[in-house]
Amino acid sequence: MFEARLSQGALLKKLLEAIKELVTDANFDCNETGIALQAMDNSHVALVSLLLRSEGFHPYRCDRGFSLGVNLNSLSKILKCAGNDDIITLKADDNSADSLSLCFESPSNERVSEYELKLMDIDQEHLSIPETDYEATIVMSSVEFQRICRDLMVISESVSIDVAKDAIVFSAEGEMGTGSVKLKQNPSVDKPEEQVTIELNSSVSLQFSLKYLMNFTKGTPLSDQVMLGLSENMPLLVEYKMDDAGYIRFYLAPKVGEE
Amino acid sequence: MSTFSTRNKKKANAPSSFENQLALLQDSESANAEKAHQVWTRPSVPNIDPNRDSIIFQQIEIDDTIDPESREPIIRMFGITEIGNSVLCYVTGFRPYFYIPAPIGFKENDLSNLQKQITRAIQPENSLKKPIERIELTFKESIWGYHGNKKSQFLKIIFSEVRAMNVARRLIEDGAIKYNERQLREMTFESNISYVLRFMIDCKVTGANWIELPPKNYNLRTNSLETSTCQLEIDIKYDRFISHPPEGEWSKVAPLRILSFDIECAGRKGIFPDPTEDPVIQIANMVTRQGEKHPFIRNVFTLNSCAPIVATDVIECYDQGKMLQAWRDFVIEVDPDVIIGYNTTNFDFPYLLDRAQHLNVKKFPYLGRMKGIKTEAKDTKFSSKAYGTRENKFINLEGRLQLDMLQVMQRDHKLRSYTLNSVCAHFLGEQKEEVHHSIITDLQNGNDESRRRLAIYCLKDAILPQRLMDKLMCIINYLEMARVTGVPFNYLLSRGQQIKVISQLYRKAFEQNLVIPALKSEGSDDQFEGATVIEPERGFYNVPIATLDFSSLYPSIMIAHNLCYTTLLDIKDIDKLGDVDYITTPYNNAKFVKVHHRKGLLPTILEDLLSARKKAKADLKKETDPFKKAVLDGRQLALKISANSVYGFTGATVGKLPCIEISASVTAYGRQMIEKTKQEVESQYTIANGYQHDAHIIYGDTDSVMVKFGVDNLVDAMALGREAADYVTRKFVKPIKLEFEKVYFPYLLINKKRYAGLYWTNPDKWDKLDTKGIETVRRDNCLLVQNVIETCLRKMLIDRDVSGAEEYAKKTISDLLQNKIDMSQLVITKALSKSDYSAKQPHHELAERMRKRDAGSAPTLGDRVAYVIVKSTKGAAAYEKSEDPIYVLENNIPIDTNYYLENQLSKPLLRIFEPILGDKAQSLLAGDHTRVVQIATPTIGGLMKFAVKTATCLGCKTPLSKKDTAVCRHCKPKLGELYQRQLDTVNKLEVHFARLWTQCQRCQGSLHQDILCSSKDCPIWYMRKKAQKDVQDANNLLERFNYAW
Repeated sequence: MFEARLSQGALLKKLLEAIKELVTDANFDCNETGIALQAMDNSHVALVSLLLRSEGFHPYRCDRGFSLGVNLNSLSKILKCAGNDDIITLKADDNSADSLSLCFESPSNERVSEYELKLMDIDQEHLSIPETDYEATIVMSSVEFQRICRDLMVISESVSIDVAKDAIVFSAEGEMGTGSVKLKQNPSVDKPEEQVTIELNSSVSLQFSLKYLMNFTKGTPLSDQVMLGLSENMPLLVEYKMDDAGYIRFYLAPKVGEE
Repeated sequence: MSTFSTRNKKKANAPSSFENQLALLQDSESANAEKAHQVWTRPSVPNIDPNRDSIIFQQIEIDDTIDPESREPIIRMFGITEIGNSVLCYVTGFRPYFYIPAPIGFKENDLSNLQKQITRAIQPENSLKKPIERIELTFKESIWGYHGNKKSQFLKIIFSEVRAMNVARRLIEDGAIKYNERQLREMTFESNISYVLRFMIDCKVTGANWIELPPKNYNLRTNSLETSTCQLEIDIKYDRFISHPPEGEWSKVAPLRILSFDIECAGRKGIFPDPTEDPVIQIANMVTRQGEKHPFIRNVFTLNSCAPIVATDVIECYDQGKMLQAWRDFVIEVDPDVIIGYNTTNFDFPYLLDRAQHLNVKKFPYLGRMKGIKTEAKDTKFSSKAYGTRENKFINLEGRLQLDMLQVMQRDHKLRSYTLNSVCAHFLGEQKEEVHHSIITDLQNGNDESRRRLAIYCLKDAILPQRLMDKLMCIINYLEMARVTGVPFNYLLSRGQQIKVISQLYRKAFEQNLVIPALKSEGSDDQFEGATVIEPERGFYNVPIATLDFSSLYPSIMIAHNLCYTTLLDIKDIDKLGDVDYITTPYNNAKFVKVHHRKGLLPTILEDLLSARKKAKADLKKETDPFKKAVLDGRQLALKISANSVYGFTGATVGKLPCIEISASVTAYGRQMIEKTKQEVESQYTIANGYQHDAHIIYGDTDSVMVKFGVDNLVDAMALGREAADYVTRKFVKPIKLEFEKVYFPYLLINKKRYAGLYWTNPDKWDKLDTKGIETVRRDNCLLVQNVIETCLRKMLIDRDVSGAEEYAKKTISDLLQNKIDMSQLVITKALSKSDYSAKQPHHELAERMRKRDAGSAPTLGDRVAYVIVKSTKGAAAYEKSEDPIYVLENNIPIDTNYYLENQLSKPLLRIFEPILGDKAQSLLAGDHTRVVQIATPTIGGLMKFAVKTATCLGCKTPLSKKDTAVCRHCKPKLGELYQRQLDTVNKLEVHFARLWTQCQRCQGSLHQDILCSSKDCPIWYMRKKAQKDVQDANNLLERFNYAW
């Protein structure tokens, strides 16, 4: 028996919005510790890794590990029927799950809606990116990051990220011209939306596709802050933490040369 | 899997190797007590006494030349006698001419004056002393329009040579000649026909007929005079020989020698062979006498040593130039009448010629029969409405016919692919290995065994065109076409449809004293209304549907209404002509006189063709000899095609003699007749008239209508069909005839020109499954579509199992989503034509990408590009998602299964299921069977080099912790069962792979050697590659169980 009750239903809605552009079908791997999802996008340039810890649910029950194969588009459509303040309960039979039942309760408990989503059998390799110590780790406002990506998209499809000791520079070069945004280290604690912290072992300079970064920033509503991890010739990590409930991580392969 | 095993069974009985076949050839030969050494030369010439013996030969090619001394034009006829001697017959004395209408009041004694005037006008441009032989005053009639059967005066101007004629024609048409102080500006008649064709028409010579030279009339040249390599050279006057019409005894075919050859070049890695760099290393030859089953000469010229091959002469050469020279000498000695091959015109011949020039082999480029005429490759462009525009090389081989089977295939058959391999698979049911040109060099540089390997491959390529030609009876059909239409053999491949009609038109006009105006062809885009289509009533009919066809609709309309150039009536002339009977056609009030005033020329030609066809068909029924049967069948087919092309000729606006009044009237009549048929049938076959049901026409197109008589059994439907055909025929003018041909039962009518049905001509057994316009042959679809549609139709119509068909479609979709469909089924091919497309196309983009990856193996212009659609970012266009199937296989790139479902399968499937299931058809594309998917993990892609695979439980797919390697702790109890299952899978896959491997070995003809083949057309090849990978993957999985014990 699997049952998970999420008091902040909006969280699940936002999560789905964040990943459904990248992935169409994926397995939610459920076990005692929580719900995880790992999937690559179709062109194998980006990977989504999602974790919802059991602590985020009240209650959470999962007797044994199993997978829920979901068409994310369908799930997102059903979740649109849930109100932002609704409490969402997920239920499934962990022995032979062929459907996932979703129950949305309004805060005042006056309206209860129930949906059932037919599950898929997805045969897919399980891929993950090993945890690494990044040469540069940046924590900054997620809204700011989204804005930078959106702005530079005007100039080009790709962005260079250069991290030095006290500043991070996003720059783009295109047919019509160039553009760059420089953020200085700013450890101001009182205004978290302006806070920029850089932890650096050595300076890095990498290029990424803005199209994907734009997709990643769909995770902005999940968290005020975003963490970027960069190492030379390694994938970029973009992480949105959802307090104790879990995290969503996006990995993006660096652009090499012509590609 | 199932297709493979049946294939395997079939193959097991067939001779397993090409070498065995060669060996068999020798066995049969030694039984015939023929010597092991193959004799190249032709049989020697018997003694001929020009005063007593006549010489009879079948001419196969006619061309013209100019006598070097007298500068007279001379006709050359090349031919073969019945015992196989080659003949070159020079025909002298025939002069080119044309007609002009005589100026008003022209008298016999004005002739010499006119001749002088024209001669004077021509002379500045022509150095001949006497360009005009003479002018004759004749009475002729123009073919254009009806003018009361009155002949008028025409001047026949006879020239001493062709160029003078062309100058005179231009001057007269432009009005540049003065005669009696007045400008002579006239339309010329019959001036736009070639000298050779003129000769053939006037001397009643048809294509490839038999010519008899009576004794005392010819001059047999002695050896010293010989100008060619022919065994007999003869001079004769153009009016002294007998041309036998190809009937009865004279429909036989001389023992033509047919050479089929193929060359191999040693290219450099990744670069297509270039004659200035890469040597020709082997030339394989097969020579067959027409009518015999097996080649009597089989040899291969090799550069460097080569191990012996059974029943084949291996001619080893150690110098490239000497090898080319040896081959040239061989060709001259064998003296083939027909040279065939696959893509010889555009590749083999030009390559040999260029290579010989590069190596400075001076004597090489003399491959024709005329001594001293150099063989060259020239560029030509051929453009025809029926065949499209093609750029080709033209190779001059005087006196020899060329039949490039590739061109024949492209002309006569619509196929998915035109590689020799796939054409043979299609027509002969025989695969051949395809050695990529980069491997050839390695084989050549190996030892004499590896060169032998290559030689066998090359020999096979040489014999396949011959087999193909025999199977399709190309020679017979083309000969018959040449005979029926009266054009030289080589026109059939190098010219379009029109020339055949022109030839017949001129021949008939010649008999009837008619002359044909030389119209300047003006391209106009005027389109007239085409054939009519009765709006189809879509649906699935589970009752017999009878089909009534007008036999030879357009020809019979032309005959019935006497539609012709000669009967066309100008409204202005009606009063002048007084009392004429005419009909007004449904097109624009065009008028034609009735048959008692004048019988049209076209109707006469058509009647002859149709009755000849009837006769050929009747003879065909009686004939028992398979060879003669083939000739007759070829003839009746040629006659049918010719009859139908007459209508097209009158409608060809850029043609030689277009007449929109005729062609548009024909289609207008056709439309009326279909409508009338519908009315007649529907008003006659009613319950009111005592029939069981009301008949209903559910569809009609051009020359046929589909009738639902309402009866539920075949016997009644057929009886009614026959009755209705006779009933309606009576309502029409003779010889228009409505025929009952077949019954479709059941019948699936999808749309206009799109239907399928089970075809019955007798009530006991169906004939075939007939489909029109359904995605089974279109090449821009993948094979999967073709197979699914075919199988579904089969299940629906033959097995009458609609739910079975549904199940099958669902199963296929489900397999597709789980990546269980074989890659070869998903490959789409398209020819890479122009190098710049305005819109981006998948195959073009892919070729570009492949060029970046490896310029050498990338497809070049003209190649067919094979591609599959792979997964990519959301919203990516198809051209960004095309990928090389081999690259996909090697890197395990996921296929975009949704693309195949939505863009390839869905429409054709819905189309055939909608008439049956209605709205429910949509359920085929979604539903439970689409919920099991497999997503492949590629080995390349931006992130793949960083990602790590986490092992998942083999029982329940949950990710495993580090210490478990096969199953999670919940599945532990099932470990044994799972292991057994995996072991089973591995075994099955191994067997599968081993079978595919032997299949390929069989195909290459040896079970001891590695497989070289990389044929992209071969489904087995893809299966083999895939199977190899599957075995490997399954084995890797199996190894994960190792920890347990």
